[in-house]
Amino acid sequence: MTTLLFVRDERGAVSLFEARDLSIAYGAADESGAPSPRLDGVSFGLERGRIYDLVGPSGAGKSMLIRACAQMMDIEGGGLLLDGVPSDAMPVREWRRRVCLVPQHASLVAGSVRDNLLLPWTLKVNRDRRPPAEAELEALLDAALLDVSLDRDAAKLSGGQAARVALLRAFAARPQVLLLDEVDAALDDASAQAVGALTAETLGREAACLRIRHRPPDGRAFGTFRLEGGRLTYAEAGCDGRSARGEASGGNSATLPGEEGGA
Amino acid sequence: MEGGVIDIGTVELFAASALMLVAGVVSWRLALGQERSIAIATVRAFVQLLAMGFLLVYLFRYQSWWLVLAVLLAMALCATQIAASRVKQKVRGLHLPIFATLLSSSMVIAFVVVEGVIQPDPWYSARQLVPIAGMALGNTMSATAVAIDRLFADLDSRSDEMFALVALGATPREAAFPSIKAAVGAGILPTLATMCAAGIVQIPGMMSGQILAGADPVEAAKYQIVVLLMMSAATTLAIVLICFLTFRRRFSREGYYLDAGIR
Repeated sequence: MTTLLFVRDERGAVSLFEARDLSIAYGAADESGAPSPRLDGVSFGLERGRIYDLVGPSGAGKSMLIRACAQMMDIEGGGLLLDGVPSDAMPVREWRRRVCLVPQHASLVAGSVRDNLLLPWTLKVNRDRRPPAEAELEALLDAALLDVSLDRDAAKLSGGQAARVALLRAFAARPQVLLLDEVDAALDDASAQAVGALTAETLGREAACLRIRHRPPDGRAFGTFRLEGGRLTYAEAGCDGRSARGEASGGNSATLPGEEGGA
Repeated sequence: MEGGVIDIGTVELFAASALMLVAGVVSWRLALGQERSIAIATVRAFVQLLAMGFLLVYLFRYQSWWLVLAVLLAMALCATQIAASRVKQKVRGLHLPIFATLLSSSMVIAFVVVEGVIQPDPWYSARQLVPIAGMALGNTMSATAVAIDRLFADLDSRSDEMFALVALGATPREAAFPSIKAAVGAGILPTLATMCAAGIVQIPGMMSGQILAGADPVEAAKYQIVVLLMMSAATTLAIVLICFLTFRRRFSREGYYLDAGIR
């Protein structure tokens, strides 16, 4: 069974994002005999203005977990809350607009860099929102150390540049929670640093970010989740797993832990 | 007009089967292993066309509106089966959308042509309705199968892009739209190419048949023009319908794309 430990911050507000007792598995993939990861009773919370890392061996289900958080797969049990509002209280598209997953494989649509950055505003879900002005787009490119013009054909970008444009596309739409699936995997160190800085900068005080990373810690994460053997553990930066509970009860942040995970 | 028809004798008809020896010998010499299929195809063409001939004789003699409609419905059912079996992509539950598509494209257009342009008496005259509807069905049947293959191949090739789009809050329709556009655009081309080549490269089948049967070539040309226009309308309608009726099969109820891993 799971023990839940949801800690309220100083202001007494609930976590920005909460996953409660989540049970997820890829369906039907079992036929091939390949072990498909399965998670049971996973709970965690993300606070405003914080960046968290999600680490663990490959195949542990990290991508699956953030996919579930963005409602990009079926959730068998448990629930998701944003600002205390359960996910089923809003249309799923609205949820995905607010809890935005940036996949590992950057895939840009045909057209210019501008077309890609403005893509979210071509969607019905953003119908009532004003697209960012030219100057804001330029500023985004600068912040990501991207030295390309907005008119550049997206197909002519290098892999690292494309990854950053895909990331900026998600940032530009100002989601409340950003879920990044190894977006800096294809980048050189300088670019990865720039992306980290950009993430921290665009988050501001109201949004939260959960990053799957395989790179060495860049010092920007407030805490690190570790997913292994179906168990999610948490440690704040500079601490090991044991102190997680103590730190959390100190009034800060995320919560945990699932005592027992499925195999 | 029937005065011009030169009857083909029974002996000559069966002697014509010798033409299939060309395909048979090629298959045998090149070890294609198609001898069986060639024999089956020859027998099927004989049996089905002669059966159709006898059926039409019966139908013309005893025609009533319900009998004619029943024959048209049976033709649409057969066309559905053939179209569904031609689809190479793995998509479940195609029969119903294909049937709906064929019925509402070729049947509707055929009725418009027969009742609006040819205006036979009585309105259900099998001599006009059955061949016109048959031609429309034959064309929409192939176009539908090709459109499904093209649509789903394009969707699969864009799975990363669509994942990113859905993660930004796109509806399945918004994510799939570029593929639908490509499938419809490509599907319309062959009909237009046929119309451009008509009368220069080939005398289309229907016109040839009428001329062989002793009709006035100008009359035959008028019929052929109407038929070509009808095919163009019917195939366009069919392709658009089948794309919009089926693209959702690659999306979950929650609107995310079912890529090969989790299908």
